[in-house]
Amino acid sequence: MVREKTGGIRVSDTPMADTSVDYSACEHEPIHLAGSIQPHGFLLAVDEATGRVAQASENLGAMIGREVGAVLGQTLDEVLGAEWACRVRCAAKDPQFALGAVLIDRWTARAAGEQQVFALLGHRFGGHLIVEGECLGEEDAALPVDVNHQLQALLGQVEAARGVEELLGLVAKEVRRISGFDRALVYRFDGDWHGRVIAEDRNDVLPSYLHLHFPASDVPKQARELYRLNRLRLIANADYEPVRLCGLPGAQTRPLDLSLSTLRSVSPVHREYMRNMGTGASFSISLIRGGELWGLISCHHREPRTVPFGLRVSCGLLAQVLSLQLAVREQAEGLAQRMRLQAILTPMVAAMARHERLVEGVEACRDDLLRIVGADGAVVIEDGRVVRYGTTPTEEQIRALAGWLNRQGDDDVLAIESLSQVFPEAQAYTPVASGLLALSVSRLRHSWVLWFRREVVETVTWSGAPEKAVSVDAEGARRLHPRKSFDQWKEIVRGRSLPWQQAEVDTAREFRVAVVDIVLRGAEKLAQLTEELTRTNRELENFSYTVSHDLRAPFRHIRSYAELLKVDKGELLDDEGREFLGYVLSGAQYAGRLVDNILGFSRMGRVTLMITTVALDELLPEVVRQVKIDPPSRNVEWVISPLPRVQADQTLLFRVLQNLLENAVKFTRDREVTRIEVWAEETATEHVVHVRDNGVGFDERYKDKLFGMFQRLHAWEEFEGTGIGLASVRRIVARHGGNAWAASKLGESATFSFSLPITPSPTNPIYA
Amino acid sequence: MLKPILLVEDNPRDLDLSLRALARTRLANEVVVARDGEEAWNYLTRRGNFADRPQGNPAVVLLDLKLPKIDGVELLNLIRNEPELENLPVVMLTASREQTDVARSYALGVNAYVVKPIEFVDFLEAIRDLGVFWAVINEPPPGSIRLRP
Repeated sequence: MVREKTGGIRVSDTPMADTSVDYSACEHEPIHLAGSIQPHGFLLAVDEATGRVAQASENLGAMIGREVGAVLGQTLDEVLGAEWACRVRCAAKDPQFALGAVLIDRWTARAAGEQQVFALLGHRFGGHLIVEGECLGEEDAALPVDVNHQLQALLGQVEAARGVEELLGLVAKEVRRISGFDRALVYRFDGDWHGRVIAEDRNDVLPSYLHLHFPASDVPKQARELYRLNRLRLIANADYEPVRLCGLPGAQTRPLDLSLSTLRSVSPVHREYMRNMGTGASFSISLIRGGELWGLISCHHREPRTVPFGLRVSCGLLAQVLSLQLAVREQAEGLAQRMRLQAILTPMVAAMARHERLVEGVEACRDDLLRIVGADGAVVIEDGRVVRYGTTPTEEQIRALAGWLNRQGDDDVLAIESLSQVFPEAQAYTPVASGLLALSVSRLRHSWVLWFRREVVETVTWSGAPEKAVSVDAEGARRLHPRKSFDQWKEIVRGRSLPWQQAEVDTAREFRVAVVDIVLRGAEKLAQLTEELTRTNRELENFSYTVSHDLRAPFRHIRSYAELLKVDKGELLDDEGREFLGYVLSGAQYAGRLVDNILGFSRMGRVTLMITTVALDELLPEVVRQVKIDPPSRNVEWVISPLPRVQADQTLLFRVLQNLLENAVKFTRDREVTRIEVWAEETATEHVVHVRDNGVGFDERYKDKLFGMFQRLHAWEEFEGTGIGLASVRRIVARHGGNAWAASKLGESATFSFSLPITPSPTNPIYA
Repeated sequence: MLKPILLVEDNPRDLDLSLRALARTRLANEVVVARDGEEAWNYLTRRGNFADRPQGNPAVVLLDLKLPKIDGVELLNLIRNEPELENLPVVMLTASREQTDVARSYALGVNAYVVKPIEFVDFLEAIRDLGVFWAVINEPPPGSIRLRP
């Protein structure tokens, strides 16, 4: 996120830095083992194994007129009297007891001559039966214990609320009314656990926090965990003095786990936070969905204030109703959106189904392509092709992005709202593509469908700076202080798009299924074609082999007998007869060579490669030695650069070089000085060998024909040849996993090149 | 007496050309012709028409690959499995340059493998080389007569 200073309030690059000393320290405070309680009540912890009080609050004497020293080690009967002890044990049979504090009843005790009414609460945790008494004021003591009837009317209103906002507002208002606090906030956690006030109800005593954002460090992790376990938390007076819990003298007393306690003393840092915020009392109700904390209803009062347990429970119920209602509404909304998207998707898929290529399939439904996920631009990448729709980064930028995506994990669908955060190069195009929804169609072939969303610049108003301070007190201990300022400051968040909704991501996933189908169908078709082609090729090869083989004998006979005729009976013929015989001989010779070449070509497709290390420096001179220079008086200048050692079949490589050098010699025949150069290059993966001559060259327009079977670019009278040599070169090189190509300046030079992989991957013989 | 050369060839033109080529090498050896693998086998093992021939193996067998009845490779296999013939020099004289044919022949212990060249001049040269190498200690004894089929 890019943060900018606005309004001159304050600026910070990392207002939510998780690494700040205070934050992590705060997160490690074991707040559930506080060892003390708030002073508006008492606590007894009965060890369930012994049935005796193991720990109790130090204020027992003032609260119930029994000194803590006396109570420790006693049974519940001895402390509360048999009747109340029985009621507690009876209540403890309720499974609810293990989930959180349960109201047993109102209980009256006498201390220092005064009568005090308590709400007697009990729960079970960590092998202890924990009994808490919360002081009730005179008014509260007069209220009926069960206040749930108050909720009935409210539930009707909740259901009738039309929008989410109305619902939230209603709940905030009701919680404030029931609790009597100055301000009630509905606070929602975002993905990074920073909070946002989404609804508020208040009087004029405390300022409005509506729409403010609070840093994640305000509610550290273990505090969130406690909110999840214990859904109601009251701090009746931020200025309270904690009351210690005492254990049996001499006994190994472990700190009591107060996770579910209602009186648990909170962290001093939090009390300071409250004071800094100007609140004397706070009451929080956890908002839970699917077992997870998603928000809080947070009430504040400037003065200290208690809320009787029964009313707190009512507020808790209201919070649960809110959570459920929101879940139902969001689900309904998601469903409606899904159905809307499905209505677009179905005809899209049908339109795509008629195509065999991804790009064509997508093109067929281009009108709906952006609508289907609410994107501003889309891109299809298939076999190195990039097709763009709508507003997207440039093709070059997309290629770089695709390269990055190819290196990411195996997720088929990636939904990213701030691309530049994970892929910094994307900063160059945040305005058009801050959001990315990427579908991997084929990992193997690097095919993708990408959707982009433009940047939505958002102004976030933070409630104060989040930093906490560390001070060193008189004893030298480090002490944390919460932030003091709750002044607002604004932050401009850049580089983010609107979030991808679950329904949109799901639709994209369905779209992917259709798209993958196309790709698979294409692949299947390709495989089928390849198979057919292979079979046809094989038949053709067989045919040409048989024909060539059978033709070889008659050509040999013609040639041999013509030769015998010329040598033995030549004197019987006149000049014309001898001329005719010459044509017979050269015709038969050509035909015989043609047949031999075809057979050789066919054989090259079938032999198994014998890959060894071949020193081209040694092989090439041998080839040069065997190349016939005709007439031998020709002036041929060989320029041979140092050549590498390659991995190849030596015999076949010999043929390649022989063909190329013979060609070079042949097509330079009419040059006064023939110059033939051979040199090599090395890339990361290949050796490339070049042979250049200063001969007649060829028209580059026909260079693709050069390597075809029986292709000749010159008249017979100019240059003899069967048109198989270069086809053989390409076939041999291809069998090694390399390639062959040519370039020329017509009338000046020709360069023939072939590549061999440094690590050979020989292809199978054609007739494997 | 020089040992004869056994030429196994079914194609009449190839047979004729081979005989002409052998004639031009001025080898003194008799050339015995068999037109298929079976006939050659009969000759080598002195059966059938050859039951009465004098004892002794030929100097070399020039063997075509594609033959009626018993083909060249099969015949080679028979020869190599016959104790009396196992050291007999056999040269494949054939039109085939196929890897499998070459490989099979060598696997069965052929002594040479010659692909009939298209050029008669080249063919002559090949036959001459073969004869010099396999057939004879070159010079026929004085007064010997060359037999022609």
